[in-house]
Amino acid sequence: MTLAIEATGSRRSRWSSITAWDLCRWAMAICVTIVVVFPIWWMVNVVFTEPGTPVSINPRLYPTSFAAGWDKVAMIMRETGYLHAYYMSMAYALLTIAGVLLLGSMAAFEFALFEFPGKRPLFGLIMLSLMVPTAVTIIPTYLLTAELGWINTMQGLVAPGLASAFGLFLLVEFMKGLPKEMIEAARLDGARHFQIYWHVVLPLTRNAMVTLAILTFMKTWGNFIWPLIVLSNAEKYTVSQVVGLFNAPFSHQTVDVVMTANLLAAIPPLLFFLIFQRKIVEGIAMSGSKG
Amino acid sequence: MTMNLRHLPHYLMVLPFVALFAAFFLYPIVSGFYYSFHDWNAVTEPHFVGLANYERIVGSRDFSRAMWNLVTYVVITVPLGIAVAFGLALLVDSFSGFWSNLFRSVFFLPVVLPAFLAATIWRWMYAPNFGLVNMVLGWFGYPSVNFLNDTDTMLFSLIAVDIWVSAGFNMVILLAGLKNIPVDLYEAARLDGASRLQQVRHVTIPMLAPVLFFVMTYGLISALQVFDVPWLLTGSSFTNYGGRQNALLFPVMDMMGRAFGSVRFGQASAYGFILTALIIVVTAGMFGLRAMRSKP
Amino acid sequence: MAQLDLTGVAKKFGVVDVLRDINLNIRSGEFVVFVGPSGCGKSTLLRIISGLEEVTAGDLHLDGERLNDVDPARRGTAMVFQSYALYPHMTAAENMGFSLRMAGAKKAEIREKVAKAAAILQLEKHMDRRPGQLSGGQKQRVAIGRAIVREPKVFLFDEPLSNLDAELRVQMRAELIDLHRRLKATMIYVTHDQVEAMTLADRMVVLNGGVIQQCGRPLDLYDDPDNRFVAGFIGSPKMNFLSATVKEVRPDAIVLDRIGGSSTSLVMPFEGFDAAEGPIEIGVRPEHVRLAPSDERRDGDVEVDVTLVEELGDVTYVHATMPAGERIIARSDNARHRAETANRIRLDPSRFLLFGAAGQRIRPAGAA
Repeated sequence: MTLAIEATGSRRSRWSSITAWDLCRWAMAICVTIVVVFPIWWMVNVVFTEPGTPVSINPRLYPTSFAAGWDKVAMIMRETGYLHAYYMSMAYALLTIAGVLLLGSMAAFEFALFEFPGKRPLFGLIMLSLMVPTAVTIIPTYLLTAELGWINTMQGLVAPGLASAFGLFLLVEFMKGLPKEMIEAARLDGARHFQIYWHVVLPLTRNAMVTLAILTFMKTWGNFIWPLIVLSNAEKYTVSQVVGLFNAPFSHQTVDVVMTANLLAAIPPLLFFLIFQRKIVEGIAMSGSKG
Repeated sequence: MTMNLRHLPHYLMVLPFVALFAAFFLYPIVSGFYYSFHDWNAVTEPHFVGLANYERIVGSRDFSRAMWNLVTYVVITVPLGIAVAFGLALLVDSFSGFWSNLFRSVFFLPVVLPAFLAATIWRWMYAPNFGLVNMVLGWFGYPSVNFLNDTDTMLFSLIAVDIWVSAGFNMVILLAGLKNIPVDLYEAARLDGASRLQQVRHVTIPMLAPVLFFVMTYGLISALQVFDVPWLLTGSSFTNYGGRQNALLFPVMDMMGRAFGSVRFGQASAYGFILTALIIVVTAGMFGLRAMRSKP
Repeated sequence: MAQLDLTGVAKKFGVVDVLRDINLNIRSGEFVVFVGPSGCGKSTLLRIISGLEEVTAGDLHLDGERLNDVDPARRGTAMVFQSYALYPHMTAAENMGFSLRMAGAKKAEIREKVAKAAAILQLEKHMDRRPGQLSGGQKQRVAIGRAIVREPKVFLFDEPLSNLDAELRVQMRAELIDLHRRLKATMIYVTHDQVEAMTLADRMVVLNGGVIQQCGRPLDLYDDPDNRFVAGFIGSPKMNFLSATVKEVRPDAIVLDRIGGSSTSLVMPFEGFDAAEGPIEIGVRPEHVRLAPSDERRDGDVEVDVTLVEELGDVTYVHATMPAGERIIARSDNARHRAETANRIRLDPSRFLLFGAAGQRIRPAGAA
């Protein structure tokens, strides 16, 4: 008996403690969630529907046919260059990540931890480049790539993005936080310059490197403008360009096929986000607070 | 300069980065500056034309149209976007633990999508008659609007997508700033009798000023270079871009068109420098404003 | 053998003299402590010996071999850092074996030497843990183990105990003394804590302003400091300094007047005082300032205002103000005093030390 009374009593107090502000913030949060998620959810629903279902039967609130969705995916993979575009985009992203991490960490090691003549002006110049819009370099960079004969090649796609000033900035900020005594201890332990980088600093920078790798992946996977001008040969297209083909006014594809193409392009970044969400969010917050 | 052998390892380690930086940043800037004074189509020899490229751009109707669009776009989208992001940050911050993390991740979701994807999804959302936006309007008895082909609505359609895409990014940065404000300050303000709204006004915003400044400056710089989303919303190509009556023509689109559509690389390079000058002026203005405000 | 000689060592950072003309001979097996306030140059001197800093002038020799241009890793020295500087991504064993790995030693040899060091420090159970999983004392031991593994001629310690809590610090101090006895190695130890210096050192080197103030056995420095700085730096609570004037010079004594601004005169035994010394200052340690019993009056007792009584149980320190406002601390070993009962102090003039205007010690004639 007493137990029941207590239970109802506590329930009442719990309900009465809900204020107008509570209701309001929950209502807002749910509204924003709908606005944010629905377009993406809608895309999924359009894909997983029997072909021929008029799009006007709206809104598509839930997927109706998984089999139909798989069929569309299989069809796109079979009949278009999507698979190769996937390969191109992956190679572009992975090579860029490898290069950005390697070059960036080597340079950051020096800029963050050592003094040498010319360091300050050089680092200042690189940081200054963060202020310069890509718009001003993109056309001359394209012309240079063309002069090198790198149009429609992987090196043309990747090389211009490797010296990432943003990545250098992120790693330098992180490495500045490493205790100086650690480096000195390694020196006393007889580690050569490169060994200090390889055995001590690189392992200690792992967190920042992972963050930078993820941000670089997002940026390269979503890069639209550079592949668009460097890869003019349809056989070399990346995912962003293939999706562009599907979306083009003259593509004559039905909306569900177009959305299938879109969904396939969205899967890698969405997967990445699900796995690494904390790192991504922290990385962006970090670059924001240090800027 | 005396080349000390002791410093050699330092130079060797920075060399790969610096070499690529010089090749793909410094050289393009210098060569772009050179091209901007030349008439050049990448096939024939460039010949010197002085300031003609700059004059031709500034005098062109596309340029005025693009600049006008840009100004309208920036003036609306940057403050509005930050206001939305700030609201979202406060909203997420008002929850704690699991719900706070969940809403943060959900609101961040559009940032994860490549911009090209967000644009194509929204093209369908905006479609006349059967698009979702028009359908919702239909429920309330409004007639269908051709959002992306009606010059009255095109810019606002772009701004809506833009905020949908970028609000989560700014929210995360602002949220990190919010977390850095010591709780004591809010407690002190509450003891001083400040309401929730007054706390935001007198504690949160002043404490968040440096982060807000960063978000605003960064937002301005990227808004001035807007390209992907309007390009895709209007279904542009190098020969046909900007949408109906150039209502969504922006400087970077105009520049790309001049380069790869009409193959005038000299003019396009000059365009880049005009844009850079604009961005530097705006950024310097932001820093100047901050310096003025921080003076007593 | 490990005889370390420093001759004329000087160091400048830009235009700032951090160290000036340091001459020091450290004998094999000696435990030498560099002590001084922060910024005195003691850590810089240690880092010069380790090779992390280069000298601006002067020479270092270890067993006759000039060290100046020898690589830090090949000097035969090993350093233990204040922050331990353990590599967080390596286990205790990997941390300790890192220097051997860098030197290209064989795995078996590394394992054997690390195991030996671990046994000396009783760390065997923790060798597979990373620094993050070790307590402060264990990290400290791993850091020492890392130095032992290198079998150095000279161990260098840079304030190694300052990150530990008080209890652990006392314990580690005992372990270090024990380690020194077993390894019979030369050890150089830097600290700002004079108690630590007194307990550990065979020989103490007191530094201030980049100059060696005095060098010697701890008790010699305590009893017979060369200058006012050393006198004030060593001992806790600090030595009292009182103004005074010399009223009369006798062959074997002097009469001091206006001590601490009071009307008190005292006769201090002192041979051969040179009247040309100018203004002087008296230094007297708290244990040589006593509280006068309330029922007994003597000439020379000084009336004071008691400001604070610190009753520590075994001893009591009475903080007081002299008539002219100079502060003085008196120590009482047995009696427990209440502030109101203790208002007269008695100074022991035979234990006075005299300092000149420049802080230099004025010694009786015939004394060293």
